[in-house]
Amino acid sequence: MSIELLLALITGAALFGVGVYGALSQTNLVMIMMGVELMLAGAMVNLVAFWRYLHPDNPAGQMFVLIIMTVMAIEMAVGFGVAIARFRAKGSVEMEEAAELKG
Amino acid sequence: MFFIGFFGLAAVWFGIVVFRTFSMVRSALALLFSQTALGAMFLSMQAEFLGVLQIMMMATEMSIMAIFMVMFMMDPGGLGEMDMTHQKRLSLGAGIVSFVAAVAVAVFVDWGPVATVVPDAAQQTIDLGLELLGRSMLIFETAGITILTAMIAATAVAIQPGANSTTSHRRRPVSTNNPLDSGMRRNDER
Amino acid sequence: MTTVLLLLLLAVGAYLVAVIEAWTTSGRLRLAAPLLAGIALLGRESIVPRKPDQVFFEVAPVLLLISAILAAAVVPLTPDLIITDLATGALFINAALVYVLVALLMAGWGPDGAYAMIGGWRFLGQLIAYAMLIVMPITAVVMRAESLLTTQVVVSQAGLWNIVYQPLGFVLFFIASMALAFLPPFDLTTSKGELAGGVEAEYTGVRLAIFRLGRLALIITLAAATVVFYLGGWQGPLLPPWAWSAIKILVVTATMLLAGRYMPRIREADLLAWCWMFGIPLALLNIFIVGVLVLVFP
Repeated sequence: MSIELLLALITGAALFGVGVYGALSQTNLVMIMMGVELMLAGAMVNLVAFWRYLHPDNPAGQMFVLIIMTVMAIEMAVGFGVAIARFRAKGSVEMEEAAELKG
Repeated sequence: MFFIGFFGLAAVWFGIVVFRTFSMVRSALALLFSQTALGAMFLSMQAEFLGVLQIMMMATEMSIMAIFMVMFMMDPGGLGEMDMTHQKRLSLGAGIVSFVAAVAVAVFVDWGPVATVVPDAAQQTIDLGLELLGRSMLIFETAGITILTAMIAATAVAIQPGANSTTSHRRRPVSTNNPLDSGMRRNDER
Repeated sequence: MTTVLLLLLLAVGAYLVAVIEAWTTSGRLRLAAPLLAGIALLGRESIVPRKPDQVFFEVAPVLLLISAILAAAVVPLTPDLIITDLATGALFINAALVYVLVALLMAGWGPDGAYAMIGGWRFLGQLIAYAMLIVMPITAVVMRAESLLTTQVVVSQAGLWNIVYQPLGFVLFFIASMALAFLPPFDLTTSKGELAGGVEAEYTGVRLAIFRLGRLALIITLAAATVVFYLGGWQGPLLPPWAWSAIKILVVTATMLLAGRYMPRIREADLLAWCWMFGIPLALLNIFIVGVLVLVFP
């Protein structure tokens, strides 16, 4: 058990925690997306740390980080598309005002 | 080790700043610097390609985020110090619980022996390229197709209904069902 | 030692860019003019606008300079004269240059002024236009070199320079790097005539001096990158390697500064439309052609 691996994992956990807080507490769609980005960043740190300290010979670990970057980009693109459509239709992207989406 | 801790701390600190500042541009750029610190952390973990890629991609992404923040927030400058949060206690609790759970897993799991030797950066890049276009090609291609689909879908969702001008020279026809220019219409009706 | 020497060379290069720029605009070659202008700027009062975003306002000019210097760090002038020969050098140049955008956004938002802010956000739109045209031609160059090392890129052009091997990529990269350095006709962000200086509008004194220095360093860095990627770097007959690098970089700089001088400023929307409708398909075509060439004539 190395201290560096632990440091990296704790960083990942902290970023994930901050991201969860942000995604749940913010009322604006764009801010919620920022929370999600932070959660994904936390996952990314973990993947790099596992690749570096446990399986440095296997490049698949690095590939997963690339996939997560793709997921971040997709999340941004779709999120902003939805945000623009919502802003056109309702004039705001505040989630408090989106109560009609409740089932 | 010092650098990993330092950049990790910087990343987390900037991550917290994202939700503590009132200025939306500051918020987006704090997220950018959080991601940049992560990129530096990757560099100090000897994942050179990923670190540089992270630093490069996030700068563009977060700058675009900044302009969307300015477009969609009521108070982008943060001068009114408006509270934009809800269910604070629940989300704080959820954040802390997930942090503690993840740390507990990290501490109590036996990760086994830690590798000390890492292939050098040039070799890593070669390996990654062969991995992407060899064994994992299907995954990589799927990611590419997915991002293309997402681009098209996002554009299709976001495009203004009724606007059919393709070049910038032509003036857009004023659509009547667009709330963005509802103010102007109301004036006309009066 | 090399680092200090290269930083010194970067400063000299930035000075020469200022001289050449004054020459292309006014037609007079005055060697001391930038020095005098710089001293005058340092002596001038540093006015801080009302209610600025203090952090952004102070950080932006420095960040512009730093990103230009970081990009210059992986550009080789001779086989040994390079600050750090990163294994991912060709990617690192992109990564460093993206922070030009961040610096300009900060400079636009920070001073709380309308002209500055329009200039800053304009540059974001400009980035959407040119970013792909920086990355994709570099991809083609790297494909030929089969390495991300910038020194390796130069070595790969020993037989035939990339400007002949992939002229399409050169043209696209040249235009895109002019847009990246916000030179005319792409100076939407600092346009003197319509935005009163854009992001520079609210800066005075020392901060403006740093900002301009950063811009000059950015221009010379981009010229050096063009030389490394397309003009065979230090290679050439008779003269020593450093002389060839210097000559090529100065010629490319002068071309960049002259090329836009006689063109009208391009509209933001036109720039976006042309880059995405023509630039990106051409860049993809370039990658395809280079791929075929690399496979057929190894």
